[in-house]
Amino acid sequence: MDPGSNPDAPNPNQDPAPSAADAAPQPSDAGIEAIARRVQESLSLSGVSRHRFWETQPVGQFRDLGDTSLPEGPIEAPTPLSDVRRDPYNLPAQYEWTTCDIDDDHTCTEVYNLLTQNYVEDDENMFRFNYSMEFLRWALRPPGYFKSWHIGVRAKASQKLVAFITGVPARIRVRDDVVKWRRSTFLCVHKKLRSKRLAPVMIKEVTRRVHLENIWQASYTAGVVIPTPISTCRYWHRSLNPKKLIDVGFSRLGARMTMSRTVKLYKLPESTVTKGFRKMELRDVPAVTRLLKEYLRQFAVAPDFDQDDVEHWLLPLENVVDSYLVESPETHEITDFCSFYTLPSSILNNPNYSLLKAAYSYYNVSTKTPLQQLMNDALIVAKKNDYDVFNALDVMQNESFLKELKFGPGDGHLHYYLYNYRIRKALHPSELGLVLL
Amino acid sequence: MGDWMELGQAVFFGVILSFIVAKLISVVVSLNEDRLTGAADQSVQPTSGASEVAKPRVLEEDAGVSVKEASLRGESDGDDDWEGIESTELDEAFSAATTFVAAAAADRMASKVSNELQLQLYGLYKVAIEGPCTTPQPSAIKMTARAKWNAWQKLGDMPPEEAMQKYIMLVTELYPNWAGNSSSARDEGAVGSASSSDKGHMGPVFSSFIYEEEVDNDLKLDAIHVSAREGKMEDLLSCIENGVSINLRDSEERTPLHWAVDRGHFDVVEILIHRSADVNAEDHEGQTPLHYAVLCEREAIAKLLVEHNANLNLKDKDGNTPGDLLGSSWVFMSSPN
Repeated sequence: MDPGSNPDAPNPNQDPAPSAADAAPQPSDAGIEAIARRVQESLSLSGVSRHRFWETQPVGQFRDLGDTSLPEGPIEAPTPLSDVRRDPYNLPAQYEWTTCDIDDDHTCTEVYNLLTQNYVEDDENMFRFNYSMEFLRWALRPPGYFKSWHIGVRAKASQKLVAFITGVPARIRVRDDVVKWRRSTFLCVHKKLRSKRLAPVMIKEVTRRVHLENIWQASYTAGVVIPTPISTCRYWHRSLNPKKLIDVGFSRLGARMTMSRTVKLYKLPESTVTKGFRKMELRDVPAVTRLLKEYLRQFAVAPDFDQDDVEHWLLPLENVVDSYLVESPETHEITDFCSFYTLPSSILNNPNYSLLKAAYSYYNVSTKTPLQQLMNDALIVAKKNDYDVFNALDVMQNESFLKELKFGPGDGHLHYYLYNYRIRKALHPSELGLVLL
Repeated sequence: MGDWMELGQAVFFGVILSFIVAKLISVVVSLNEDRLTGAADQSVQPTSGASEVAKPRVLEEDAGVSVKEASLRGESDGDDDWEGIESTELDEAFSAATTFVAAAAADRMASKVSNELQLQLYGLYKVAIEGPCTTPQPSAIKMTARAKWNAWQKLGDMPPEEAMQKYIMLVTELYPNWAGNSSSARDEGAVGSASSSDKGHMGPVFSSFIYEEEVDNDLKLDAIHVSAREGKMEDLLSCIENGVSINLRDSEERTPLHWAVDRGHFDVVEILIHRSADVNAEDHEGQTPLHYAVLCEREAIAKLLVEHNANLNLKDKDGNTPGDLLGSSWVFMSSPN
């Protein structure tokens, strides 16, 4: 841990012998360089505001990328359950823990209000995520969820909900290893209360409750680089309502470009083009599960969905998740699948608009219909349902259609992390089969 | 931090006290990232609990900073809920000190520090983070846990701020140069520019389009087009007064009226019409200002154009009349003039 060492320096101990587990396409040096570059970017992007963390931390772990001598898998064995702390961690005296019963309308509204007022914003504070209550209930109650993982913090005196953190269980496969994970979601502390003395104890508390269920791994995403992302993805955006996006500052109109041409550029057909393209229904769950399982096999990291998961995560739910599939008109076989979830954002300080309606590409499977055509139909459906923008990460095979379907690169990088699980080298986004909400 | 109390209990038997304390201190401050990724050059068996604690702490570094910015935005209300909770310079310095101690421990410099001092640091850290010790006394057999508990408990009701200050002083005594390594960070923290935005959070990221200059666009505009585009009435009028044609075409055959309609400058459109600009001028794609108004959903302007004899039947090169491009139903568009 020499703070002066070059983070990009090759590890002299590097074992050049490739292991059998390395059959997957190798992002190799290019990938490592890309990550090193992204780190540099993130350092320089923040300019004056270089993060203290990076000032004091050697990013030496980047040296380990590509070091095949390190085993993949859990970094630490679970400790015996009896050693997991039984009592909640101490909060500052004015605050107390609460378990948020998301089924209860009053509590759910409190959570909704907290998040809507205090959750993630863009750099310029023009937009703030506005997860709907239906979305929260969907995201927080997957099969086998634990109510005890929906943790709130209240001010004792006012009983006001001031912070919220959750996790939900998930089975995620890393290469050939299926593990039970916690998926972290919704760490939110009231803007006025954000302090080092509250958020860490919240993270510890949720981790403690997760350990009590004998789960020792977690997956999460963040907008910043911390050691060590398993992959770094970029958001891409496809304008559906370019005029509104320009008016609210989501995109900008170049001085030499006309609005009218921009509008024309993003126009979509009135109806979908793929024969047999229809909304997914309950009866499709088994077929979609099979399709998805087979398809996700090609990615290094992907969820391990069973039918219950598919029914929960992918069966259409109004204003939360939309799924479409292609049923062959001849054989009635389900051959292709696409889905997106709905995550609106509040538009802050705009006189004409208050909500940005965004669709986020979720899981897509193409076996017969070209993926590009399938996604174009998804765009058409989204446009018809008044979405303003369709967002997608460059995960899975998405890169193959982004440019062709007029997606433009976004300024948001999303870093994926696995907690207490080592992956030998960073993955290219296209090796990632996982979308976290 | 109680997590490692369990940890301490778990590994207590058969391990010497000083080794445990050294290890635990490093967990407490826990920015020892190499453990997390299993540094290649440390053949240490992963110690249980270490990374569970380490990772969240790292995340918090980010969250804490973004928070700070939020509090700097100057929001305030009279709610007592927030009193004493804001992130301060002291927090920053304290955090830097804990970070340094973690890094030092990782460098195995920790062995130079006596157990007694480590226990002092521990006690101060606990008070700073969690406040006075309220947990029950561990059993006397658990010597490590008991020693740590004592170190915490004996500080009594010491305010967290004082604990932070003492912690920083102690670190400064132990490592007089520690601040040098992180001084730039501290300076920045002091001026309040620790500004990672909300992107510093764990969780999703809000992304919007990167602004890209059009490179393959060799459009040539004259001053009158620019002033129409920008809605600069005076500039526009002075162009006209200087004899520039009101229907001057840019390199793609657009008139100032096209540009004013495109950008939605109603007053400029009014003036141009009033000065007899050609309302049916076609650009190189055969589109009139009315096509533009329809595409850009500028209803008031479209109405104005129609009222001033804009032709509803002119087709652009794709064969579309303005009405063909209309997404909504505007009454004035259906009545041919």
